[in-house]
Amino acid sequence: MSLKTIRPATGFKEYLPKEYQDLIDDGPFLRQRKVSELGSFKEAIEEHPMCAGCAMTLFIRLVFVALPSLEHTVICGTAGCGRLAITQGAVPFVYGNYGDTNAVATGLKRGLDIRFKDQPKDVVVMAGDGGLADIGFHAVMHSWFRKEKFTTIMLDNEVYGNTGGQDSGMTQKGMVMKMAPTGKKFEKMDMLGLAKTAGVAYTARISTTNPTRIANTIRKAVLIAREVGPTFIQAYTSCNIEYAIPTPKVIDDARDVEKDRYGFAEYFSDEAQSYWDESEKERKRLRKAAKKIK
Amino acid sequence: MYSVAEVDQEICGATKCRLCTQFCPEGNTILYDEVKGTAYVAVDRCKGCEICVGICDDLAKHHAIKMLPIDQVKNGFDISKVGFKRTLVDSE
Repeated sequence: MSLKTIRPATGFKEYLPKEYQDLIDDGPFLRQRKVSELGSFKEAIEEHPMCAGCAMTLFIRLVFVALPSLEHTVICGTAGCGRLAITQGAVPFVYGNYGDTNAVATGLKRGLDIRFKDQPKDVVVMAGDGGLADIGFHAVMHSWFRKEKFTTIMLDNEVYGNTGGQDSGMTQKGMVMKMAPTGKKFEKMDMLGLAKTAGVAYTARISTTNPTRIANTIRKAVLIAREVGPTFIQAYTSCNIEYAIPTPKVIDDARDVEKDRYGFAEYFSDEAQSYWDESEKERKRLRKAAKKIK
Repeated sequence: MYSVAEVDQEICGATKCRLCTQFCPEGNTILYDEVKGTAYVAVDRCKGCEICVGICDDLAKHHAIKMLPIDQVKNGFDISKVGFKRTLVDSE
C-alpha cells in the first residue's frame, strides 16, 4: 500500500470514517516515526479486541511505529492472539493458514520483488510461538535455509493462549498450564540456536521493557532482511491471562523474566555485520550533511 | 462499573516525560498535548489495565496517573467522537 492508495479522491474525504481522515491528516506515513513521538501522531493501529494489559499488544503497537516504511510493508500472520491486533493496523495483512506463514511470505516477497523492481517492499511475518515454533516449524526452517529475504517476528507468550492454555514448544519445562495439568515434560525450544544454525543473518531476543530498544531492533531486522538475508526476532510477550499476572504487574514481570532468562541478545552474521556498519556510516554522513545545510 | 486512567495535568505538565505514552498497550489511548505539555487519556479506549499507573509511580516517580471510575470522569476526551487531536486547546 502506498500513500496514493490511502488518499481518497477529491471531495470524498468528508464521507470517510473519522479514523480514516485522521490517518490521512496526522498518520505515520512517509516519515519514520520515533517512539518518543508516540501520542503526538495518529498511530497505524486502531482499537482492537485483545485483553487489557496484554504485553503482546504493546509489542505489536511498537512494531507498527518501528517499521521503516509502513506504506511499503506487508505483514503475514496466522491464527493466534496476535492477529486480533495486527489486523486492525493500516498495513496490509495476509492471513496464512496455520503452518504455512513463512511459505506464504516467501511467495509474497518474491512476487513483490518482481513486480516492484525499484521500490523495496518489506514482508514481515508476525505470529505466535505456536504458529512459528510448533505448527509452522517446517515452513520457518525452510524459509531460513533458502535465505528468503524477510523478517520473522515470534511473539513468544510461552503458551497457546487463544485456545485455553495448552503447552507449546516454547513453554518452559515443568510449567503446569490449564490444559497441561501434569506439567510440560520437555525443554523450551532453542529457536535462536536453530536460527543461527540455519544461517539467519540477524537474530535478536528481546522483552517488552524498553520501547526504544524494541523499535531499534525491529528497524535493524527489517533493513538487514531487505539486503542480506532472513532475520529473526524472538520477543517475550507474556500472557497475563494464562500465567495469571495481574495487569499492573505485566511490565514488572517482563523485567523479572528479562533479568532471569530472557536478556537482550543479538547476533549478526559476518555479512550482516559489515552491511550494518556500512549503512550506519552512510546514515551518519547524511545526517552531518543535512545539519550543514541547515 | 470499570475504571479508567486519569492524568493529573498539573503534575504531568511540569515533567514532560512521556513515558506512559510509550508503555500503553493500546494505540492512541494515552495521547500527548504538545501545547500544554501533558499526557491525556482517551476515556473511550482505555481498558483499565493500570500499566501506565505502574510506569508513572515506579519508573518515572511522578505519581500523576490515578484510576477513576468511569462515571466520575468529568469532560473525558472521547476519541471516537472527536477524532485525533494534536492538542486539547482547540477542542475545549
